[in-house]
Amino acid sequence: MMTNDKDIIYAMREDAERGFRLLMLSYKEPLYWHIRRLVVSHDDAQDAAQEAFIRIFRSFGQYNEANSLRAWIFRIATNEALRLIDRRREDPISIDKVLDTEVDSYVNYDDLETVRLQNAILSLPPKQQLAFNLRYYDEMDYDEIAQIADTTAASVKASYYVAKEKIIKFMTSND
Amino acid sequence: MEKTFDFEQVGKRMPYDVPNDFFDKFEENMMVEVKSRRSKKPLRIALSSILAVAAAIALFFVMQPLLPKSNVDDFESVELAFNNLSTDDQDFLIQVYEDEDILMNDFEFNP
Repeated sequence: MMTNDKDIIYAMREDAERGFRLLMLSYKEPLYWHIRRLVVSHDDAQDAAQEAFIRIFRSFGQYNEANSLRAWIFRIATNEALRLIDRRREDPISIDKVLDTEVDSYVNYDDLETVRLQNAILSLPPKQQLAFNLRYYDEMDYDEIAQIADTTAASVKASYYVAKEKIIKFMTSND
Repeated sequence: MEKTFDFEQVGKRMPYDVPNDFFDKFEENMMVEVKSRRSKKPLRIALSSILAVAAAIALFFVMQPLLPKSNVDDFESVELAFNNLSTDDQDFLIQVYEDEDILMNDFEFNP
């Protein structure tokens, strides 16, 4: 059964534990994958997702129903992922690095095309990465992405198209 | 001819994977975490309330000597209580205090 955001909000207000279970049901996978695409490593994604969900639970009272619940949740998750990336700023992310450092990296290197696409996305500045991932993988509209990235829909649209062009260039020049 | 890249060839496929049953275990761990946080909350609230009351009492005793004495209020309340007494009781009290050489007017003029 699909749970919509209104059900989650109502349940969170009535019975936080039940509401949180509904929220987890709907968001644990999309949120994990969103973080994973940004931080790459499974362990890091798990840590950041855990922090994000705890933050969501603790600060649910601050959520304003005038805004999209999905955008609010993704914004918290994005901040956790960026915080984690910031902590290791001196060490830029790439899938190859994860292979070198993690014994069980949970990355399938056999699918070369997807590995290359992820490396292309990871080579983008964070703003373009965010715009591309949320549009391409999560199929969000520009307004919702703007809420997550704390910017305007026009700026997100521009970031998305620039990102797309850069990815095409990367994919065709690195055979 | 210029080479191009077709996003549809890759679609939403990703090279990333997760351990078996990862999402089920993750959800259960999160629920345990949230429950433990909720059960700690009433204790935290009770403890913070007790600390707040204790701090208020301590502050009262520390600040009391610094607060200005309100003799006017004291005098008014004594006068009110005195007026509520019967005439006989008032006479008795006047006699007692006259004997001890304490006049009500002393309070009024020498606060």
